[in-house]
Amino acid sequence: MVQGLVRLMLLAAMLAGCATTPTTGTGGSHGSSSSSSSSSSRPSGEPRQQPVDARADLQGSPALALLDRAEGARNQGNMSAAGRYLERALNMEPDSSWVYRQLARLRLEEGDAQSAEGLALRALRLAPYNPGYQAELWELVATARERQGDKEGARDARKRAQELRRGTA
Amino acid sequence: MAKKAKRAAPRRRKKKASARRWISGRFLAKVLAVGLVAMAAGLIYLDALVQERFDSHVWQLPARVYARPVELYPGRVLSRADMLKMLELMRYRQAPGAPTAGSYSVNGNQLIIHTRGFRDSDGGEPSQRLNLRLGGGEIAALQAGQGGSLARLEPMQIGSIHPGHSEDRVYVPLDRVPPLMIEMLLATEDQDFYEHHGVSLRGLARAMLANIKSGRLVQGGSTLTQQLVKNFWLTQDRTLLRKLVELPMAVLLELHYSKDQILEAYINEVYLGQDGARSIHGMGLGAQFYFGRPLEELEPHQLATLVGLLKGPSWYDPRRRPERSLKRRNTVLQVARQQGALSEEELHRFSKRGLEVVPRGESPLYAFPAFIDLVRRQLARDYPPEVLGVDGLRIHSTLDVLAQLAAEKALRDHLESKDPGGKNHLNGAVVVVAPTQGDVLAVVSNRRSREHGFNRALDAVRPIGSLVKPAVVLAALEQPKKYSLATIVNDEPLSVPLRNNEPWQPKNFDNKSLGPMPIHDVLVRSRNQALARLGMDVGLNKVAETLKTLGVQRDIPLYPSILLGSLGLTPFEVAMMYQPLATGGFSTPLRSITDVLDKDGQPIARYPITTEEVLPQEPVFVLQQAMQDVVDQGTGRGVRAKLPASVKVAGKTGTSDNFRDAWFAGFSANHLAVVWVGRDDNSPAGVSGSSGAVPVWAQLMASLPQRSLSQKPPAGVEWVWMDPSGTLVSGEGCDGARRYPMLPASIPEEADRCGSRDGDKKKGVLQWFKGWFD
Repeated sequence: MVQGLVRLMLLAAMLAGCATTPTTGTGGSHGSSSSSSSSSSRPSGEPRQQPVDARADLQGSPALALLDRAEGARNQGNMSAAGRYLERALNMEPDSSWVYRQLARLRLEEGDAQSAEGLALRALRLAPYNPGYQAELWELVATARERQGDKEGARDARKRAQELRRGTA
Repeated sequence: MAKKAKRAAPRRRKKKASARRWISGRFLAKVLAVGLVAMAAGLIYLDALVQERFDSHVWQLPARVYARPVELYPGRVLSRADMLKMLELMRYRQAPGAPTAGSYSVNGNQLIIHTRGFRDSDGGEPSQRLNLRLGGGEIAALQAGQGGSLARLEPMQIGSIHPGHSEDRVYVPLDRVPPLMIEMLLATEDQDFYEHHGVSLRGLARAMLANIKSGRLVQGGSTLTQQLVKNFWLTQDRTLLRKLVELPMAVLLELHYSKDQILEAYINEVYLGQDGARSIHGMGLGAQFYFGRPLEELEPHQLATLVGLLKGPSWYDPRRRPERSLKRRNTVLQVARQQGALSEEELHRFSKRGLEVVPRGESPLYAFPAFIDLVRRQLARDYPPEVLGVDGLRIHSTLDVLAQLAAEKALRDHLESKDPGGKNHLNGAVVVVAPTQGDVLAVVSNRRSREHGFNRALDAVRPIGSLVKPAVVLAALEQPKKYSLATIVNDEPLSVPLRNNEPWQPKNFDNKSLGPMPIHDVLVRSRNQALARLGMDVGLNKVAETLKTLGVQRDIPLYPSILLGSLGLTPFEVAMMYQPLATGGFSTPLRSITDVLDKDGQPIARYPITTEEVLPQEPVFVLQQAMQDVVDQGTGRGVRAKLPASVKVAGKTGTSDNFRDAWFAGFSANHLAVVWVGRDDNSPAGVSGSSGAVPVWAQLMASLPQRSLSQKPPAGVEWVWMDPSGTLVSGEGCDGARRYPMLPASIPEEADRCGSRDGDKKKGVLQWFKGWFD
C-alpha cells in the first residue's frame, strides 16, 4: 500500500518531465524556510492574534462544504476522495492556509512525507498571525522531515515550534 | 495391326474406366473425409476466432480524456456569456424548465441547468437541476438539488487516446441505448433478429422479393449477426471466401452469445462514417460525431438518421448528402411507425424536423490536439499502450476549456493581424498554467489550433532570450549583502574573452549603452550589456544553479551567452521555470491529469498536488516587484492596453538574435502564461517580445478572471528609500531617492544626509524586526 503510494507519488513527480529540484540546489529548502516562513503576516504595530480554524479561514466560502466532505471521506478511509475534495477547495480558495494544512495532514497520513512538508510550508506562508497555529504547522513540518530521514531539518522545525509556543505562553 | 489396335483399345478403355471407378470410389471417400476434417478444423478455427475476438473486441475501448469539470458556486467569477458558451459547447439543449438531463433554460440572468451527472474520485455528481443567478460577472446565487450551493457540470470529453489512432469508440451499454433506436434498428435491418440463428432464410427471401420487385439491389438480407461478423472480422471486400466464412461464423456467434450481447456489440461496433483518418464506429461515437451529444439524449429523428446511415455511411452522409440522408431518415421513421414504435403524430412531427447535424469540426472532441498530446505523453509513463487502447480508462485532465479557447483566440487574432493568411509562416505556441497547483489549463501549438502536427508548445526548443534575465537577477538577489534592486550596474560595452573563439561582446537591443543604472532598471528595460556585466559578476555557475533550482533540466553550458538567453527551452519548460517565480518559491510539477478512472467510473489512480519549497520567499518577492514594473513601465507595458492597472501582474519579454523568437512569460496570482511566436525554420521572424508576444499574452490574460499578485511584503522585506548610488538609505522626497523592496541584509547601515532622520526611523523598524528574529 505504502509502496504503491510512493510509486504513484514518484510517477506524479516525474510527470511533465519535471522532477523536483535536487536538494543540492542553491539555498537548500530547509535553510531557506527557516528564515522565510515565519509569522508571514505579522502586522506592523500591535500584533493581534487571529483565531485559525476552517470557519475563520474560509468564512462563508463554499469551500467549507468541501472540507466537511473531505473530513467525512477521510474518516471512512477514502483518502483519494478526501484528496479530491481538498483540491477542489483549493481551486476555490487558493490563498487558504487551512486548506493547505488539511492537504498536508492528509498527504502525511497517506505516507507521502515529502509532499506533506511542501504543503505544510505553504500553509505557513499563508498563515495568519497566530503563534499556536504556526507552531502546530512547524510540528507538522518536523514530522514530515523526520519521516524523510531529515533529522537536522526536523530538529530545526521543532525548535521553531517551541519558540512560537514559548512566545505565547 | 488394326485389329490388334482395335482389341487393344477397349482394354485401355477398360483400364481407364476402372481408374475412374477407383477415383469415384475410394478416392472420393478419402477426399471427402479429408475435406470434412478440414472443414471441422476450419470450423474449430473459426469458432476460436469468433470467441477470442468477440470477447476481447467488445472491451477494446480507448482511454477517454475529459476537461476539468466546471465548478459552480456562489462567488465564482463567470460571465453570462461564458456560462452560455460552456452550455453550448457541451451541447445543452435550450428547453423551458430544463426537463431532461442536458437541457437548460435562461431568463435574463436566471438559469435553470439540468446537468448530466458523472463519476469522479470523490463519487462524482448526480444529474440534477440547478437554479443559478448570474450578476456582476460572477455567480450570485446557486441552488442545487439537495439544497446545496455547490455543483459541477459534467466534464466535457475532449478526446480519446488509442494506440492505433484510427479507431475510436464511445461505448454505450445496451441498457443505455434508447429503446426506440433498437426498435428502429430491428425494423429496418433485421425484423427476425430474435427468431433466427444467425442466418435468416425468411429475411433472405424477403430481400430477394424486394429486389425483384424494384428491379435492383435494395436489400441485402444479411442479419444483424452477419453484419456484425462483417464489421468485426472481415474486410469489406465482397469476396467469395468472405461469403463462405460469414455464414458459419454468424451461426457460431449465435451459438456462443446471447441476442442481447450480439445486439450490444453491433450497436457499439457498426461503421458509421469517416472523420479524416478516423473511422467512426458505434452509435455512441456516431451520436457525438454527427450531433455532438450522448446517444441517450438524441431525439427520434436523430436516432433515425443514425439508423439510416447503416445502409451506406458515405452514400447517406447527412453532412455531404443532406437530401439523400433526409429521405432515408424519413423512411426509417415510417418503418418505425409501421412497427408501432412511433405514433402517427410523432411520425408527422419528427418527419418535419431538419437533420440538425452539428457542423464538422465544431465538436470539442478532438478540438485540442496539443493538450491531448501532453496528456498522452504523461499517461504513457504510467500506462503501456495496450492498456490505454483497451481498458476504456477515463482520464480527468486539467484542461480549462475557457482558458484554452481564450489562448487559441489570442494567438490566432494576433498572428492574423501580423501575418494575414500565414504567408510569412509566422506561428506560435501558448501554455497556460494555474501556478499554485501546477495544473496545465491550456496548450496551443499552432495558430490553426485544431491542426495536429508539430507540437511547438512541447517540442519547439528555442533560445529564450531575455526570459533568462529574472533568473540572473534572482541569482544576484540571493546574495542580499552584495546586491539589491538598487545596486548600480554599468550598461556599457564589455568584452569577455573566450577560449578558442572570438571574445563575447553583447550589444543592446537599440545598439546604445545607457551607462550606470540600478539592477531594477536593467531588468525593466531589459539592458543586455548591464545584465551581462551583472551576470559575470555574480558568476555563471551561480546563474546556472539558480536556473536548475527553477526547474530547468537541460544541460546548461557555462558560456557567458547563457546570460542573455542562448539557452534553448520549449514553451512548456519556460512555464516550469517561471512557476516558482509565480508562487513565491514553490516548485510544483506541472500536471495535465488529476484522476484516472476505469470504464465504470471507479477511481484507479490519483495524481495529487505535490509541492516543494525551492527558494526563499524574500528574494522572489523582490524580483516579482521588479517584474511587475516590466509590465507597468518597461518592455511589457503593451500589456496595459488590455489589462487594467488594478490587476497586478508580472512578467518578462524575450527576443532572440535577429528577431527569430518573440517571447513573453508572465503571471497573475492565478494564471501563468507563456507565449512564443516565431517560425519553424528558425529564420528571422521580424518580431520582438514586445511586438510579437506581449499582445497575445495581454489579450489572453484579459479574457480570464485574474487575481492580483499580493503586494503585501513578507516578513523580512521592507520598502526603503535609497539614494541614487544605491549604497545609502535616503528618504521620501530626497533628491533622486527611489523606493525599493529590500531584504534586511541589503539595507545599508549608512543614510545620506537628506534621509538620515527618515533612515534612523527605518533602522529602528529594522531593529524591531531583527528583535523578532533573534
